[in-house]
Amino acid sequence: MLDKTLGKWLDATGPNADIVISSRIRLARNLAGVNFPGRTLPADQELVIDRAEQALRGLSIYAPERFLRRKRLSEIQTGCLVERHLASLEFAAGKTSRALFVGPGETLSVMVNEEDHLRLQVLASGLDFNASLTELQSLDDALGAELGYAFSPQYGFLTACPTNLGTGMRASVLIHLPGLALTKEIEKILRGALQVGLAVRGLYGEGSETRGNLFQISNQVTLGKSEEEIIEVLGRIANEVVGFERKARAYLLEKLRLEIEDKVFRADAILRSARLLGSTEATNLLGVLRLGVTTGLIPGPGIKSINELMILCRPACLQDYYDRELPPRERDAVRAELVRAKLAIA
Amino acid sequence: MTPAPRAPDPDPKTLCDNCHAKPAEVKVTEVDKHGKSAPVNLCADCARERGVLAHDAAKATVAEILLELKDKVQDADRQLVCPGCHLTYADFKALGRLGCAECYTAFAERLLPLIKRIHGAAQHTGRAPRADGQTATQGFEIQRLRRELRAAIAAEDYEQAAAVRDRIRQAGGEDRDA
Repeated sequence: MLDKTLGKWLDATGPNADIVISSRIRLARNLAGVNFPGRTLPADQELVIDRAEQALRGLSIYAPERFLRRKRLSEIQTGCLVERHLASLEFAAGKTSRALFVGPGETLSVMVNEEDHLRLQVLASGLDFNASLTELQSLDDALGAELGYAFSPQYGFLTACPTNLGTGMRASVLIHLPGLALTKEIEKILRGALQVGLAVRGLYGEGSETRGNLFQISNQVTLGKSEEEIIEVLGRIANEVVGFERKARAYLLEKLRLEIEDKVFRADAILRSARLLGSTEATNLLGVLRLGVTTGLIPGPGIKSINELMILCRPACLQDYYDRELPPRERDAVRAELVRAKLAIA
Repeated sequence: MTPAPRAPDPDPKTLCDNCHAKPAEVKVTEVDKHGKSAPVNLCADCARERGVLAHDAAKATVAEILLELKDKVQDADRQLVCPGCHLTYADFKALGRLGCAECYTAFAERLLPLIKRIHGAAQHTGRAPRADGQTATQGFEIQRLRRELRAAIAAEDYEQAAAVRDRIRQAGGEDRDA
């Protein structure tokens, strides 16, 4: 299926990558003249997939092995794509024929027949929307010209759910806020984000829980604002949250340095020694270690390695990594082994 | 015929004046077209059939009235059908998703307030699709090459940068980032 190498967006090279893991933009698009995926017959679903592949084939980023039809993927592989943030939870569910195109470096991807015919996505390291918006829009233009989108001058791009109408654009940042969590200011900050019309969710979007103090902040409104305005507001608020997180970290290092050091070194010790490591425990400990590394409390592994481990430790990716189905207990053993090995060389 | 409310409940042994089968539960006053009114005893089913139960039954609770109103709204929702994909507005309310682009026209009146509530707006101000396929594809490729160029310059790989710049020129783009 995909390379074992994870997406380039995890490499922590972007602006504010110590706090913002990634920035993501997603566009919802539908083909004119075809019912939305939830209301198509299987034959039409296949047709949409074929047309999408045909349109992608005209681009230099296309390669047949990068176009994945869900019916040819195992449950583990599909789960792994979700955990790698290339596909959504909805993509993995239901009986609709779906497909996923993954561009080189896993920065660009296109889901076919999720809630809408196309979901175009770009991922970038750190807090960085501008370059990736240009990239995504040029892909959007190329596919749209080829496929013919459902569009209305009043409502913009027509989507299966009216909440995505207009630009069809959802931009989000995946942000790591341990400082604000430890100073108990997190609630206040997240409520503030809600008040300015942004949504706050867990690691895997809608309905997912928050772990490792990782949060997703995204725009809610998609109609009546331009793409640039949406990005500008989200970017500005994300920048403010980053500022608050920095202040919280500085406060903690000044007033509670020993306590934080203790937390970080304990997390490091467990990660390097545990023989059984649950998925939630691993994510939480890696979150604490990430705080230690980004604040210079512990030399430890690079941020990139921690970002990647957070994904590799997820159940489906772990099984995909070892190329076999593993029962939960064995998974915990293998996870502990993998973390020990990765941290030893990182 | 305009039913008007009246209490108290009829005697439980009285039979329905309409079906003469079931015990009457509701006593209503019906007014005929000449303006004459007469008391009528009805069972629950007949009362419902005549559409009087919710308004007139002394026993009708607020919940029952709301339920009946909800039924009426649901009937209207079921009758509102998209000609494009045959989705009813009731289906949309249950699923939360529309069936096709045409649904936006078919349910326009119902959707407009909903869209305004969600977005605080009802007019798209963002981008529109591109029509020219060849130019759009070329644009995508040039944009990707520019990105490669930036990466090469950042990595101080000037040989690679020069090669990428040539490719941008070949693809018909200017090398404005160089």
